[in-house]
Amino acid sequence: MPAGIPIRQFGTAIGLIVLCGILWILTPHFLTVANLLNVAEQTSINAIVAVGMTFVILSGGIDLSVGSIVAFSGVVLGSALAAGQPLPIALAFGLATGIGCGLANGALISWGGLPPFIVTLGTMSIARGAALLFTEGRPISGFSPSFRVLATGRLAFIPAPVIVMAVVYLVAHFVLTRTTFGRYVYAIGGNEEATRLSGVAIRFHKTMVYAVSGLTSAIAAVILTARLNSAQPIAGMMYELDAIAATVIGGTSLMGGDGTLAGTLIGALIMGVLRNGLNLLGVSSFLQQIVIGGVIVVAVLLDTVLKRNRA
Amino acid sequence: MRRTIVLIAAIAAASLSCNRGATTARDGKPTVALVLKTLNHPFFVDMRRGAQEAADRLGVTLQVQAAEREIDVEKQMQIVENLIQTGVGALCITPSGSREIVSALVKAKNANVPIVVVDTRLDAKAAADAGVRPATFVGSDNYEGGKLAGDYLVKVSGGNARVGILEGIPGHETGDSRLRGFRDAVKAAPGITIVASQPANWERDQGFNVFQNMLQAHSDIDSVFACSDLMALGAIEAIAAAGKSGRIRVIGFDALDDAKKAIAAGTMEASVAQFPSEMGRVAVESAVKVIRGETVPPDVNVKLELVTKDTLK
Repeated sequence: MPAGIPIRQFGTAIGLIVLCGILWILTPHFLTVANLLNVAEQTSINAIVAVGMTFVILSGGIDLSVGSIVAFSGVVLGSALAAGQPLPIALAFGLATGIGCGLANGALISWGGLPPFIVTLGTMSIARGAALLFTEGRPISGFSPSFRVLATGRLAFIPAPVIVMAVVYLVAHFVLTRTTFGRYVYAIGGNEEATRLSGVAIRFHKTMVYAVSGLTSAIAAVILTARLNSAQPIAGMMYELDAIAATVIGGTSLMGGDGTLAGTLIGALIMGVLRNGLNLLGVSSFLQQIVIGGVIVVAVLLDTVLKRNRA
Repeated sequence: MRRTIVLIAAIAAASLSCNRGATTARDGKPTVALVLKTLNHPFFVDMRRGAQEAADRLGVTLQVQAAEREIDVEKQMQIVENLIQTGVGALCITPSGSREIVSALVKAKNANVPIVVVDTRLDAKAAADAGVRPATFVGSDNYEGGKLAGDYLVKVSGGNARVGILEGIPGHETGDSRLRGFRDAVKAAPGITIVASQPANWERDQGFNVFQNMLQAHSDIDSVFACSDLMALGAIEAIAAAGKSGRIRVIGFDALDDAKKAIAAGTMEASVAQFPSEMGRVAVESAVKVIRGETVPPDVNVKLELVTKDTLK
């Protein structure tokens, strides 16, 4: 791994700590156990979507369809639950929908030879339309407590979504750093042609990368649906941008081949802490957008500057 | 690395320095939170103005927050969760989703924050199931508003019309109630037929497209009822594009400034006026009463009026 990465990740972590410190000084409501759990819970959905996004961006691609996949998987899950399917079956339907959308993305990109931007832009519209068509535009709501526990449950004070997020990150981190698939993701993003020439099945592995993204979107959909007690076909709009932002703030290079999941988690937390803190301080919602946009630009600027210095 | 820190700190400091006035749990005044669906719609901007005037008069601090987009109920839920942390005295909210927001209000209830629901009612069943009991509801009766529009159409058309309807986002309580009121009113006139009814999701450009398509399919449409003025204004442009300006009656809802101009110009027939600033005022007044332990009625109806060419001065 290039020497610059741990330093940069360290920097993002310090950024997060400083941000927390500033908020601690400015408002007594920030640094409380209840509020920090609150932030972690609110961050979980974006953070989970960003896991798949990190895989995709590491491989040198982009996935604009994640928000729509969240909506589509959510309504499939919701309607399975509403139809009285047992929880495991309904979850399987929801997750399979996400994986299916991801496989379709990956296959079109790998075997169709189309640019990821175009393919996932198309899927973004198709999955959204499918979700609306499937539900006739109406939200499906009112689920059993046994399902809602995925959002409302707590294990020793820790909210269930935070536990799901932690598990997803641990598993994904293991896959990315300890398996051949993980190494190929970096290799493809670093130099696709060289990786192909060394005998790696590029098409297969790229397809799997988008399947991972579909899967994490579907996991986020499960939590979102349980949290709102409703599966909305209009859910998840703009999630793609939040996920890309978390990934990029976390130091993953949009050129591919360079970045870590720990960085992405910190990136998602920075966005969550910012939103929470700006709410606590009563900052106008218009100004909030400017601040969040500013942080994204600064993070990328930093990424570029550091790369230039390293070269 | 020092640069990351400095830059992030600078941004945070810059964003905060201009907002010190808003964080005032410290000066002893009670804080009332007003969570809106969005702030990029004149309706909610007016509501905020009315609320702010009432807050200033009553000596309470008002904290206004809104999601970026009207339909983003998850963001609205986050705002509610965050505001609860700041120890607000009461929460006034215009729910982005009548059912979905209940999950957030459960948390407010558990934190003993009284709730005032404004403009859009909670889904009665979802609220009852979760044990959420708002202190009061402040809003106009959307059903009555729809009925007002329907009765007016019966009157001006002499009981004979072929109507196209532009609905809001399906499943939204506000639009559904307006629609029911309108349909119930026109049922009284057997000569009135609803030939098409399609959602245009509250948006102006969709109002244009959907109505253009309706005109293609039913060229004999002579009246439009749109569940909001933005969609009505879109329909008016579609009518103009089809060269039928003035020959199709358009009735909208909200009486936006643009709609009033269209009514004055004769391209629009009427619009049901709500008084959002009045809603904001009553919401804050009710919240303050609840904080002081006074009783409030479970339901406060804010008046509605039909704006037509005759009522515009």
